[in-house]
Amino acid sequence: MTDRQNIDTVLAERDAYNAALAGTRRRGGSWPALLVILAALALFPLVQLTGGNWNYPLHLMLYAFMYVAMTSGWNILGGFAGYISIGHNVFFCIGGYVSGMLLASYGISSFLTAPLAGVVAMAVGFCVGFITLRVRGPAFIISSIALLMVARILFDNWDFVGGSNGISLPRMELPVQYVKIPYYYAMLVIAVASLVASYAIRHSKFGLGLRAISQDEIKAESAGIDTRFYKILAFAISAFFVGTAGAIWGEYMTYIRPNIFLIILVAANMVLMCILGGKGTVAGPVVGTVLLIAFNEFFVSQFGASQINILGTGIIMILALMFFPNGIVGTLRRRGRLPRILDWD
Amino acid sequence: MFEVRRLSKSFGGIHAVNDCSFAVDEGSITALIGPNGAGKTTVFNLISGTLASDSGEVWLEGKRIDSLRPHQITRRGMSRTFQITRTLEDLTVLENLIVQSRVTGIGGLFRKAIGSAEEARAMELLDFVGITRLAHEEARNLSFGQKKLMDFAALLMSEPKIILLDEPAGGVNPTLLEAIVGHIQELNRGGLTVLIVEHNIELVMSISHKVVVMAYGSVIAEGEPDAIQADRRVLDAYLGAQSADA
Repeated sequence: MTDRQNIDTVLAERDAYNAALAGTRRRGGSWPALLVILAALALFPLVQLTGGNWNYPLHLMLYAFMYVAMTSGWNILGGFAGYISIGHNVFFCIGGYVSGMLLASYGISSFLTAPLAGVVAMAVGFCVGFITLRVRGPAFIISSIALLMVARILFDNWDFVGGSNGISLPRMELPVQYVKIPYYYAMLVIAVASLVASYAIRHSKFGLGLRAISQDEIKAESAGIDTRFYKILAFAISAFFVGTAGAIWGEYMTYIRPNIFLIILVAANMVLMCILGGKGTVAGPVVGTVLLIAFNEFFVSQFGASQINILGTGIIMILALMFFPNGIVGTLRRRGRLPRILDWD
Repeated sequence: MFEVRRLSKSFGGIHAVNDCSFAVDEGSITALIGPNGAGKTTVFNLISGTLASDSGEVWLEGKRIDSLRPHQITRRGMSRTFQITRTLEDLTVLENLIVQSRVTGIGGLFRKAIGSAEEARAMELLDFVGITRLAHEEARNLSFGQKKLMDFAALLMSEPKIILLDEPAGGVNPTLLEAIVGHIQELNRGGLTVLIVEHNIELVMSISHKVVVMAYGSVIAEGEPDAIQADRRVLDAYLGAQSADA
């Protein structure tokens, strides 16, 4: 074969590759399968009516829904915009306290006040973001930790909300086998809402702008994006979902106390679940949440609630990130092996 | 159309830009040249709002823009490229262009990321620079030259009145350089004003209507290319004082 033929062959192959690429569109997610899963989740509490004791699985699932909501919310700022916050549980706390205080003082159920709690968390997020989003990178991470510390000191010493002892909340008057069911549905609704919002943002101009910011903020600003406004708005929206989840969680726990909400473990869970699943992807927070909770439950069942279960989960995290450096969803996408059911980006 | 008046910027004790003034006429190609360290890129950064000036004014179409943020300046009709090509690596080529398109109002933020009209415009621009086939490729997979072309196309997406090109010929092969020069001249014939920082003197002299020469942060000469080539101050700045003795 002559050199000319070689070149022609290479060019022809390259053109074919490019033509295929140009014709490629992102595959949509597998909506029917997702709807089936959602329907199964909605019907799951009915097993409790069979007389069996499904309280622990119900608790575990509503706990997972809560983290899906919070991690998806966190992902709007931390994943799409690339601003890692380790103080987002402050909004979890604000949501819990707003609804908790309304329940304790006026007897209004958190199911009714959760959206309001989310709005208050959003407003606080807007103000906090206005101040802290002037810095980026490690400085922003430190500012988010400072926010958490300030909030902890404030709530520990604020007598009106019970200080470090917190406040007890009235328990919902339902038989014990059914009492988790309303919270299960509430958390499911919040989780689905946060995923829908995350999906809508990911596919909007706002989401495109946030992704540009996460890549190169100077370039994004030069492209005409009001980076400061985009970041503050992302911060506020993410605070809304975390705050709403906190509202339901407070009533579910039947008390509100700083050491439920304002511990670093809650914030760390949000970050780790998102990174494990795939930061900046819509499905990543779901995958990360399910896997981290599953790992933890497995190790607890094997070793009890000891330090070993934390060690085991940590080792799994390290291994997962060695083989999936962009998170599971992010890495599988880059390798072209992402199952359709997880392709929501 | 565009004017810089007594612009200054210091970094610690170094006067990167010192009392710099020049004007760019509407519809012209103006080149900003000078030896390394003359302050050309700093001037670009001050004009585009990427850096804040210590003093001085920048005027665009009769309005001061030196207190505006970069995105506001872009929205006023001035777009720029960077000396080292900056691409949004995880975004596709198409998204790299779409991200430059104008978004109006809060409602606009939540519209579909890639509208059909914007996509058509982006594809038209990609066709203009000859990389339509790469529209759905992630920018990280592009070669250096392809990134230059994408950057150039993205620049036009915001429909600017004036473009600032920071070393468009830097590191490109002669064929690509020819293509880029052709694109600049074609756009200029269409009425676009161009301010260009470039080290390739041959390129500058062949396409510019006016040349502004900087040295040590100040403008030392400005005029038509032929006059600049014969200017002793320019020769001194580039070759050192010995040119005056020769």
